Amino acid sequence: MIGRVLIALLVLVVALITYPGALLVSFATRITPAPSATPGPPGALPWLHVAHPSGGIPYVADDQGRMVLLHGAIPASLLEFGPGTGPFYPLDPAAYAGRQCPPNSPSSRYPPLCQVDLDEMARMGFNSIRLPLSWSLLEPERGQFSTLYLDRVAQIVDWARELHMYVIVDMHQNAYSHFIGAGPSVDLAQTSGAPQWATLADGLPSHVYLGQREVNPAVLEATTNFWYDRNGIQDEYLATLAFVAKRFRDDPVVAGYSVYNEPLPGWNLPPGFEDLLLFPFYRRAIDAITGSHDGLPCWSGFFMPAPCGYRDLGADDLRHLIFLDTGLLREVTDFPTHLGLPVSSYPNVVLAMHAYTHFYTIDHLMPQLVSSSTYPWGGYDQSYSLAEREAKAMDAALFVSEFGNPPGDDGKLLASQVLEEERHRIGFAFWTWKENGSGGWGVFAPPAAPADASGCLRADREALLARVYPRTSADRTLTYHYDASDGSFTLKAGGHSGDPSTVVYVPLEVTGQITSAGAVRVVVSRETDGGRVILAAPTGGEFVIAVSPAPLELTGCV
Amino acid sequence: MRDRAATRALVLGLLALPFGLFAPFAIFSGARSLRRIRASGGELHGAASAIGGLVAGLIGLTTLAAGTGYWFLGS
Repeated sequence: MIGRVLIALLVLVVALITYPGALLVSFATRITPAPSATPGPPGALPWLHVAHPSGGIPYVADDQGRMVLLHGAIPASLLEFGPGTGPFYPLDPAAYAGRQCPPNSPSSRYPPLCQVDLDEMARMGFNSIRLPLSWSLLEPERGQFSTLYLDRVAQIVDWARELHMYVIVDMHQNAYSHFIGAGPSVDLAQTSGAPQWATLADGLPSHVYLGQREVNPAVLEATTNFWYDRNGIQDEYLATLAFVAKRFRDDPVVAGYSVYNEPLPGWNLPPGFEDLLLFPFYRRAIDAITGSHDGLPCWSGFFMPAPCGYRDLGADDLRHLIFLDTGLLREVTDFPTHLGLPVSSYPNVVLAMHAYTHFYTIDHLMPQLVSSSTYPWGGYDQSYSLAEREAKAMDAALFVSEFGNPPGDDGKLLASQVLEEERHRIGFAFWTWKENGSGGWGVFAPPAAPADASGCLRADREALLARVYPRTSADRTLTYHYDASDGSFTLKAGGHSGDPSTVVYVPLEVTGQITSAGAVRVVVSRETDGGRVILAAPTGGEFVIAVSPAPLELTGCV
Repeated sequence: MRDRAATRALVLGLLALPFGLFAPFAIFSGARSLRRIRASGGELHGAASAIGGLVAGLIGLTTLAAGTGYWFLGS
């Protein structure tokens, strides 16, 4: 009899902590009422949220319910890279006051981020910025959070506010941490993330294999220890997230928080990594920030199985978007590597994909095994079409939180990615804004002289990224296309009389004539940055907005 | 005497909970072992393990079906 009870208990406990339990908790979030949020204090920008159309794909929307497309870039100079410790540039906002800018440091991969950078971004028509932060600078000592670092972030948020740009605060990491240890072919200048006290490599050697910084036993071990919450380090990470969220709780200029960049599975395999470790971790992060109380009440401080939720850490932030990066394996396959289950009852969840087709996908990483002429099977669209299905299954909006490529591949890779983003009506953040040294991927060329802030704006990138695009529209089903070869643009949409306006941004590089047809009333205004803004108010029915072909007035260098 | 297939069924059943692909094997082993134990007239033991493996396999299979079914219907 005792044996039967023990076997029954064993089956029950294993079921609860693995897929059956994970599935039940996941499905429960679909029937749990969404936590209610009070309207946020008015600010320079409308609060964003995720709209959930019946049967459709959720999307990011403003306070009038219009779809919002975020276009932006990713400046990486607030990250802490190795070797050594400490940021390359001052954290004290005073060093940047009055439009000052510290000198560029050739030893840093990235030039400092200064107010002029945001001006330049706005001038290219970007309405957002993804701002990567390092956990190692936020919590350099266990339990000790850096208010100074957040002051610096707040300064950048204030710059963005002046330009009406949103900021996505991104908890970034690359190959877990720059405290992973020096070793053969390990370039610590390419790694960032966890503080030293949270880097538990268990004495495994730091050695890069296959030329990929992530394929390093020490990185894999430390990452695995994070997912299993060794020594409570995952709890500390959640506390750090809550620390950030408390600071920006009432600020609509902060669009939201990106919880974890490019999650590496460690020693775990898909789909268990994503379904039983990563996305349950995301649920706990949302619980901690919003107080949603999804998942089962559990212990903390050591391994929390998939069904475990997390306690409210007091930020009570119910108004910001929460961006959830797909796992790194998805990035290299352009293919969903797990079930894609609902994560949380919190409605403002955004699935954040990284789009590196033909660069970080397996056809490029392992060309001897997989040919780029046959993979991805569905071309560039494979990743986007499947990501839409993943987002819909999760009841989340979709966003390209990273894409980019070496400048020489713009004609093929960058042009193809922006075309897919248009086709699927998805916003993007481009990696990266400015980068020192040769071989950089920046929108700007590397500086010619070490002390220069940057080189010139790359004209090919200016042509492809300074795009005509709808920033907001009440018609989620609109179609639009910008042709960077001749500066022409066409948008087809519809609407009822009285619907809020569709807003189209035309950067100063685009000089064609603006025309409209159909049921719309159009007003064009000139912005202080030189661009034009089209306000298209539907009058009931279909309408077309177009920009005629005309030579681009590029300001960048060839 | 203990039926060895009963223990195998339980192990496969427990594996089927995190790895659903083991579920059909757990169900097959559990059902076969249970049939053999019942037919042995008390000579073979291990019914609890066989039932445990069978039930765990069924839970694993149901979970796999529900998870993948949700993906196809919900996406």
